Amino acid sequence: MKFVANVDFNGGQLRPLDQSDVDTIVKLYQKQTLAGQSTTASTEHAERMITLSVQMAATQRGLMWAMEVDGQMLGMLSLYDWQPTSLKTLMRLDVLPEITQLQQVEALRAGMDYLLKKYHLRNFSFHCLPTGDEAVINVIEQVGFTQQAYLRDFRRTSQTEFSDILVFNQILTTVSETPHEGESA
Amino acid sequence: MNWNLNTEHYYVRFAHEEDIPNIYALLGSNEVVKNHPKNPMVVEAQAMDEARRMVMQFEAKEAAFWLVEEKSTGKVVARLSFQKFNWVSASAQLRVDVFSDHKTQSVLSELIYAVATLAYEDLSLHRIEWLLLESDHSLVDLAKALGFNHDGQLLSFLEFEGSWIDYQVFSLLKTDTAWQQAIKNHGLGKS
Repeated sequence: MKFVANVDFNGGQLRPLDQSDVDTIVKLYQKQTLAGQSTTASTEHAERMITLSVQMAATQRGLMWAMEVDGQMLGMLSLYDWQPTSLKTLMRLDVLPEITQLQQVEALRAGMDYLLKKYHLRNFSFHCLPTGDEAVINVIEQVGFTQQAYLRDFRRTSQTEFSDILVFNQILTTVSETPHEGESA
Repeated sequence: MNWNLNTEHYYVRFAHEEDIPNIYALLGSNEVVKNHPKNPMVVEAQAMDEARRMVMQFEAKEAAFWLVEEKSTGKVVARLSFQKFNWVSASAQLRVDVFSDHKTQSVLSELIYAVATLAYEDLSLHRIEWLLLESDHSLVDLAKALGFNHDGQLLSFLEFEGSWIDYQVFSLLKTDTAWQQAIKNHGLGKS
């Protein structure tokens, strides 16, 4: 049974992860800024992530899409903390340098439109680091997300250190509320 | 570790079987629960269920609940809790259910200082979060007066009676000047 749908966006498609994505996932997850990440990503972690992505989607806890452009996986758009009752979810965007900002914007819009239509999700949020996540912030602001909170020392980065987290939100009530290129939220 | 606390004017203690009427009286009061927001309890069986959930959540290390018994009268006047313990990020969410005649800075600073001391010293937490409704002016003002920082808001956090509820997020860190000052002064919000 297929739990993660294929969703087309202008320039590419969102699709379920599969075993051929392992190397790309390892590349994407070399970032040491990820919560709880103490070592660099490995093949084993990536394989486990693919298995988890199916389990998450099957139980509506989360979802992981590969962002594919011209047949190549260039990023991931993921949902965590998916709360079907509260119609909300926390998202992540992890990309390789090869994908353009416009493609990321289109992919995110298409993913959110799909989630709104299919699951009626309306409250989308991103947690970003104050430094290091500028590229992601650029993308999500273009899609209409706005910063709503600055959570001090919200994420633990080591035994004794913490990082602040910026919370960005976008609330959708109808499909037509998704802003289009050049529009603000 | 002793979870039962003793402040100058209150026993801040875990609930026992005889507390069902106390829980019902507190959470059956609209003035106490309206700002969570929640509907007041309407039958005592709900208090029994709540008491059971309090125990289960504590045993699962997800939350801790204290009833606040006034020493001079023996009356239970409030319930404090830490919910959503996150042992990875060393944080928890504070929640306060209190009768309006005890919803004052002097009372709540005494109570919150007691549970925050336990959180920071015994549980090694780093961040205490307090989610409040913007319309709950008395607690919003009190949180600020006690040194909590307004971190921002969480939009459409939950749905209640057909409306989406935004929460204002306040936080107090172990490293905050307000807390360090509280340790020196043996109390929160004292200058």
